[in-house]
Amino acid sequence: MKALYALYSDPDAAQRAVNFLKTARGSLGIGQRQIVVVTGEPFDGYDFSDEHSRTHIFLLASIGGIVGAILGYLLTRFTQLSYPLNTGGMPIVTSWTNGIIIYEMTMLGAIIWTLVTLLVTARLPQFGKSISDPAIWQGKILVGVTDPPDQARTELEQRLRHAGASEVKSIA
Amino acid sequence: MTHKWAMVIDLDRCTGCEACVVACHAENNIGNAGPDQAARGRAMHWIRVERYWEGEFPNARIRFQPVLCQQCDDAPCEPVCPTFASYHTPEGLNAQVYNRCIGTRFCANACPYEVRFLNFFNPQWEKPLHLQLNPDVSVRSVGIMEKCTFCVQRIRAAEIQAESEKRGLKDGEFNPACVQSCAPQAMVFGDLNDPNSEVSRLARSNRSTKLLAELGTKPNVNYLQRDSWQNGKNG
Amino acid sequence: MEKTAEQIRGDLLRPLFHSGAGYWMAVGLTGGMVLAGIFAFSYQVYHGLGVWGLNWPVFWAFDITNFVFWIGISHAGTLISAILRLANAGWRRPVTRCAEAITVFALSIGAIIPICHLGRPWLFYWLVPYPSERHIWPNFRSPLLWDFFAILTYLTGSTIFLFLPIIPDAAAARDLAHGWRKKIYGFLSLGWQGNPRQWHRLESAMHVMAIAIIPVAVSVHTIVSWDFAMTPVPMWHSTIFGPYFVCGAIFSGVAALILAMAFLRKFLHLEEYLEPIHFDHLGKLLLTMSLLWFYFTFAERLTTWYGNGVSEMNVFWSSIRQNFAPLFWTMITCNLIIPFPLLAIKRFRTITGTVIASATIVAGMWIERFLIIVPALEHKFLPYSWGSYRPTWVEITLMVAGFGMMGLLYLLFSKVVPMISMWELEAGIRKGPLVRRRAATFEPGVATANSGLAEPQSFATDVSR
Repeated sequence: MKALYALYSDPDAAQRAVNFLKTARGSLGIGQRQIVVVTGEPFDGYDFSDEHSRTHIFLLASIGGIVGAILGYLLTRFTQLSYPLNTGGMPIVTSWTNGIIIYEMTMLGAIIWTLVTLLVTARLPQFGKSISDPAIWQGKILVGVTDPPDQARTELEQRLRHAGASEVKSIA
Repeated sequence: MTHKWAMVIDLDRCTGCEACVVACHAENNIGNAGPDQAARGRAMHWIRVERYWEGEFPNARIRFQPVLCQQCDDAPCEPVCPTFASYHTPEGLNAQVYNRCIGTRFCANACPYEVRFLNFFNPQWEKPLHLQLNPDVSVRSVGIMEKCTFCVQRIRAAEIQAESEKRGLKDGEFNPACVQSCAPQAMVFGDLNDPNSEVSRLARSNRSTKLLAELGTKPNVNYLQRDSWQNGKNG
Repeated sequence: MEKTAEQIRGDLLRPLFHSGAGYWMAVGLTGGMVLAGIFAFSYQVYHGLGVWGLNWPVFWAFDITNFVFWIGISHAGTLISAILRLANAGWRRPVTRCAEAITVFALSIGAIIPICHLGRPWLFYWLVPYPSERHIWPNFRSPLLWDFFAILTYLTGSTIFLFLPIIPDAAAARDLAHGWRKKIYGFLSLGWQGNPRQWHRLESAMHVMAIAIIPVAVSVHTIVSWDFAMTPVPMWHSTIFGPYFVCGAIFSGVAALILAMAFLRKFLHLEEYLEPIHFDHLGKLLLTMSLLWFYFTFAERLTTWYGNGVSEMNVFWSSIRQNFAPLFWTMITCNLIIPFPLLAIKRFRTITGTVIASATIVAGMWIERFLIIVPALEHKFLPYSWGSYRPTWVEITLMVAGFGMMGLLYLLFSKVVPMISMWELEAGIRKGPLVRRRAATFEPGVATANSGLAEPQSFATDVSR
């Protein structure tokens, strides 16, 4: 995988770089998906980091919870009816105590569904090649382009540096 | 019609001889704990005779109370068993299924009468007691809870016999080992669903009380006593 | 002096790459304790439960005391991590991972104990609802089944809650390590890149987990308390047990957390990260829990004494005046009398002060669980059935092994993963100037500044560290 990227210490500079890449996309021949921003920590409050902020996670977790509740209900009620054993004069289907199991299954469902949602939507695990640089762990922001067209390379490099990059690097 | 097994114990007749305890051990293959383990509280007396002193010398009185599993209708030991090893049979007995028991001991803690016992070790019988094991009763291994079953093996044997002879059970046809061995005949066993049985008649007596009745366990063992130390009369 | 991101990562990743002799000695010691426990357990399985001190009528003692104790300790992580995350308290940042780790390990130990205490431990899986050709099934009415489901859910939830924030830190370790370590962290980080999509998904998942884990934690210890409250045993059959146990759990959990933090601070040289202010805040929390715990204890005992029930009063006096009086008053001393001045008086609420208070509290809370279980079982309804209890070497060894296991897991964990969440710490520091701007908006007459930033004012003052 080929790439060209720049490292920025200042988030505003990184924002300028991303703005440039977005507006000059057509003329440089880069698609939206080729623009990559990589950071070592979440940067809230900047446009470059706000792009994928709508998550629907609460809705999905709630659906997981409902599925868990239904499974808990089926598990307890139908097995109690299948093996009707009298204990302590209690009814065969004890709704209040089944409620405890249903509650736990609801929470388990919500938790597991949240995890599954995270893995699927964040596209983890992802062991293929992706742009990264150890410098992001020193607080730098990486802004780059994967598979840049050859003719746009020099201009890209120039403009990224102009936005305030501390370094510009390329892979392959 | 289904049976509902119950027992009546006449405390005014009980002499505290503990023949019932010995008979129960013999009938039900209860392991001997030995003197050391018994001193540590590991003895397993499915029926025990509790002895209490009342008053001071020279007006001291002794009271005997045989306590065994009360086969409660609303038994607190049943809902807490995680594997259904303790459950209620249609004939009103609290059954202990030895195979299902994994030894959580929750039932023993829940029982207010303290009539449930754990096999702390594999049971032992000193020779020649090992020769007198009852073939109708299983031998429990380590880690399993056990308790009085109203000699369910005798109940089942009598029921099977009666069924094969195509007749109903007669009152007094068979008894658990403790009832059988009681010299003053203080213990009576029978079917509460039969209004004419001895047990039903005695349970209706005005001397009839239940142990720890206020807990709501609905026990099926009735104790007959002219006066109880709870209402302070002296007979 | 302000730390740069590079310095932070260097400090926090150093223990992963370097270990001293002291570390290996500690591992050896705790490993030895665990091995002793394994030996004791094998001895118990071979000979039977009789090698314990249990008898008729005391069928639960050290085993269930330890079980409730460890489940209680596991509430540390939830409170600190989840509640403080939701309250957006910035001072939590260096503390969350230590706390979450305590939760997962304490819960694992607590989950093993019910298996070890069975009369027939090799059949523990009968508590699991699985289809069996013998048509056997567990009893959902039993509090032990509720325990099974609750602990399963809580363990799953807290493991996920621990693991999710580790992913970016593992990625940092991957990028900064070499050789076999690089491969392991590469695997652990799941190929994390760090683009905005991933950050948003991770943070939203953590937010949901924080919301979900709190009711689960409350339910877990409530259900554990119902192992006692659902029986008619005198002084067990009390409606207060649910909240009482949850309060006690959070109390002992925070104390354990303070101890763990002090330990890490000393041995991993994290003096600049785990600072007196963190111990100060946790100390105030501990003080609150101490008073709340005492309130519940007092309320329960006053009600019992006032009611004067025959069976209950036997258990009551047994704790307060007779056999268990020394233990009972030690517990009150450890849980209230010693910690109160140490935590209430600002001059004493230092790292040393909170550590002493926490150590006494952990001991006191162990005694509290013991005193709930054993006096009541020793004095049930029929006086003929009263008994006494004394532990044997097997039970004591198993208890010590539990502590050894906790230490060992924690030591091993501190080698694999940085004990302070680096990216969260970084994010908090970077938010500093934005926090001050936002704090200004709380003043009357100032127009609202930016969106989506909600750090409380207390963190603004800590940011300069």
